[in-house]
Amino acid sequence: MPALSRLLAALVLASQFAPAQTPQDRPGATAHAGAAARMMQERRYAEAAGEYERSLAQDPANDMIRIEYATCLFAQERDQDARAQFEMEIKRLGEQPGLSYYLAQLDIRAYKAEDAIRRLKPLTANPAFPKASFYLGVAYLSAGQQALALRALEQAARDNPADPEVHYRLGRVYMLADRSADGDREFDLFRQAQQTRRFVEETGHACMEALRTQPIEQARVVCERIADLHDAQRMLWLGELYASHRAYAEALGPLRTATELDPQSFDAWHNLGRSFFLLKRYGEAVPALKKAAALNPGYFDTLNLLAAALHASGDDAAALPVLERAHALNPADGAAAAALERMRAARSAATQPHSGQSHEASESR
Amino acid sequence: MNRRDLIILLAGFAATARAQAPVGMASRGIAPQRRGAPSGRPFHATFHDVGVAAGLRQPVISGSAGHVDYIVESMGCGIAFLDYDNDGWLDIFVLSGTQRGAMLAESSNRLYRNNRDGTFSEVTREAGLTHQGWGYGVTVGDFDNDGFDDIFITQWGQNILYHNNGDGTFSDVTQRAGLLNPEPRWGTGCTWVDYNRDGLLDLFVSHYLWFDFESVPPTGKNPDCNYLGVPVYFGPRGLPPEHCQLYRNNGDGTFTDVTKSAGIDLAAPGYGLTAVAVDYEGTGWPDIHVASDSTPSLLFRNQRDGRLVERGVELGAALNEYGKEQAGMGLAVGDFENSGALGFLKTHFSEDTVGLYRNLGPGGFEDVAMRAGLGVETRYVSWGAGIQDFDNDGLPDLFWATGGVYPEIERAHADHPFKTPRVLFRNLGGGKFEQLLDLGGPAIQEAHCSRGVAFGDFDNDGDVDILIMNVNEPPSLLRNDVVGGGHWLKVKLVGVKSNRSAIGATVIATYGGQHQAQALSAQSSYLSVNDRRLHFGLGSALTADLEIRWPSGAKEKISGVAADRVVTVREGEGIVKAETFAIANGRG
Repeated sequence: MPALSRLLAALVLASQFAPAQTPQDRPGATAHAGAAARMMQERRYAEAAGEYERSLAQDPANDMIRIEYATCLFAQERDQDARAQFEMEIKRLGEQPGLSYYLAQLDIRAYKAEDAIRRLKPLTANPAFPKASFYLGVAYLSAGQQALALRALEQAARDNPADPEVHYRLGRVYMLADRSADGDREFDLFRQAQQTRRFVEETGHACMEALRTQPIEQARVVCERIADLHDAQRMLWLGELYASHRAYAEALGPLRTATELDPQSFDAWHNLGRSFFLLKRYGEAVPALKKAAALNPGYFDTLNLLAAALHASGDDAAALPVLERAHALNPADGAAAAALERMRAARSAATQPHSGQSHEASESR
Repeated sequence: MNRRDLIILLAGFAATARAQAPVGMASRGIAPQRRGAPSGRPFHATFHDVGVAAGLRQPVISGSAGHVDYIVESMGCGIAFLDYDNDGWLDIFVLSGTQRGAMLAESSNRLYRNNRDGTFSEVTREAGLTHQGWGYGVTVGDFDNDGFDDIFITQWGQNILYHNNGDGTFSDVTQRAGLLNPEPRWGTGCTWVDYNRDGLLDLFVSHYLWFDFESVPPTGKNPDCNYLGVPVYFGPRGLPPEHCQLYRNNGDGTFTDVTKSAGIDLAAPGYGLTAVAVDYEGTGWPDIHVASDSTPSLLFRNQRDGRLVERGVELGAALNEYGKEQAGMGLAVGDFENSGALGFLKTHFSEDTVGLYRNLGPGGFEDVAMRAGLGVETRYVSWGAGIQDFDNDGLPDLFWATGGVYPEIERAHADHPFKTPRVLFRNLGGGKFEQLLDLGGPAIQEAHCSRGVAFGDFDNDGDVDILIMNVNEPPSLLRNDVVGGGHWLKVKLVGVKSNRSAIGATVIATYGGQHQAQALSAQSSYLSVNDRRLHFGLGSALTADLEIRWPSGAKEKISGVAADRVVTVREGEGIVKAETFAIANGRG
């Protein structure tokens, strides 16, 4: 599974177990989890694991953080460590499809094919796990059950028609079954996907160079070759390329399309919200950032931006708790801390003349 | 500025963009598997680096120490064991890079003659092999069947064919042979191969990528090129990949470029490195396998009609099991399961496993690296590799050299050293391997930045020694001292109908109930050349039966070959010479 998909799946999985604790309960734990989330976003998995460990040392009962930690270990292929964390969560939460999905992949890597098959069979009909058939096929293959593997992988190819990994595996099984014509068909599909990826990579380099060296009108001609209105990843990447070179207006279209094609893409929503924000279109930034925050509630940058966008829209009442959450995730960020102090002070000042009772209540908190 | 503006501004600065195109080399970013308890079994081979004491004192220049501006300075080069004077003792050919703008006199390729006493004398100038340039790959073989091994080297710029004159000297015959490139290219892998079985060695060349100093930005000039936040050189990703090339030997000292007619140009371009020609399928026709960096590795299947068709993806030899490219650097071919079929070991970038591929027959290959226990070592960028029985127990072991590509990184990240130790896995049997972290001798733990590795018995004492190219250091020569009493057999082949070097032959030795296949190739490891005498550890067996599959297609069986000697087999005539090394050394 590609690292990004793994991460996204992890986040979706983790968000099913929203923390029972509030940030005020375990401020140190939240801060470490916030740091870990930032590192995960930057794919600094080894460092993220350390932060998760520090967070869990202070808040060992936090299911969401433990699941994020487990997926972080999974991403590094620290299989035995990841398994221990997932199994701990199964003890706490009972059997959960998301947990089974990851454990099955660990089973495959550990050559425990029968265990993987047992976990994956119930998931193949669950649309939340479109690659379950693929992993089931791999597990059957590992168990030496080639006919069942073939059937599962054929299902996987129907479920994931644009996934090169599926076509590659299916092609290999056809070859082993001496069905080279079918194998060649799958390899053709695999190669098409590979060529597309290479084209996008090369165009990406050219786009970055153009964005650095040419006026935006000329750069756009190069960069727009990345666009594919049916491919969320390509639209996201195009949007990110524009945004990373401060071409925020150009970024909006591709990022909007990415959110339409893949409404569960945290990166697409975050970058869309950020681009709106930096264009000072705060009213449009807010819903995008809210969506991103819902998909990844532990990511400081999103919450910080959302708070600022709410504040800029004049909704300090909504901004304050968001900024408090952001601050808890990253107390070392001086700007956010200062902004929070100012916002609290402003709120306090605003409420003081109207009601002495309210002021007392506020103080007593 | 009011408070609201300030908050908005600060939050805007805090928002980070992460868009970045893939750069550098492919890696999966995985941590090592947890190690099991050591087996506790003794290992009977011990390695000591005797390189400098043996006379290998000159450093192999490759750019400047401590800083790399361009990818050409980083890839290092191969190294060769060869017997250029046919005295039965392995000599050494060391390729070299150079430094940009300063063709240093000490940066020449070097030839070292074996003094037959554990030392070597440099004879580069006498042999006519002095040359400064950006050398990468080497292949050794007798292309004109005159009984003396010739040398072909790849370079960034122009490759060179050196004809062995048979009197201790070589002549550059590149132009006469028709091997001049119309424009500079970056040749890397190269191997002699008789692809059309006419008894003449043809020449296959892989290329890494298109490069020139003027248009590729140096380190620090492209902000997208960084690793762990440190600016690094540009490439390979982002630079144009290249096609491979095949030259047919015309039999008159010249070659014809048959890249198009043989179908080599139909393969997708890639970042090609080590090239190995070997008969994987046992058809009697050699296939050609190329380890490719961050692009699919290539496996050209011989169609037996003058054409080769690239089928690496279809045969499971191009990608990892998830269909992803890996940074293929080195390639070693061998029978690590004693199954009688040839598999291979492919080395990759750090934070990735090596690939260990079992031969499944017509269905292709299956990566069993994790199952074999190799996933415990993912820390190092890995290069030259071998599947060799180092302790003569009858089970081929695994070795690979390592070394970083970005010397700047360790200054910011101490946990990413540029110089790293060698990796040795002992074969436990049953498809399982165990990394030897404390056994194997001091030379295994010594840290260098290494690239090419050659395997051979330089001191003719019945084991396999290891020769390693180190970046901007002298080569290491790891003398193997084996105890334990395991027996061995070396097989030297001389082709008659086949090419005289017998390159492309496969030998299957049967001993003590085991069947081990070995291929005679003209390049493997990382752009390097091994001892052409195939070495079989036999364990406690005192004899072995041999099946020889000659490059001509002929098969020959020889039964009951006594152990602890080198036998020379001439095609169609059986064993024509058998020597024990004690006698050869004058110690018998």
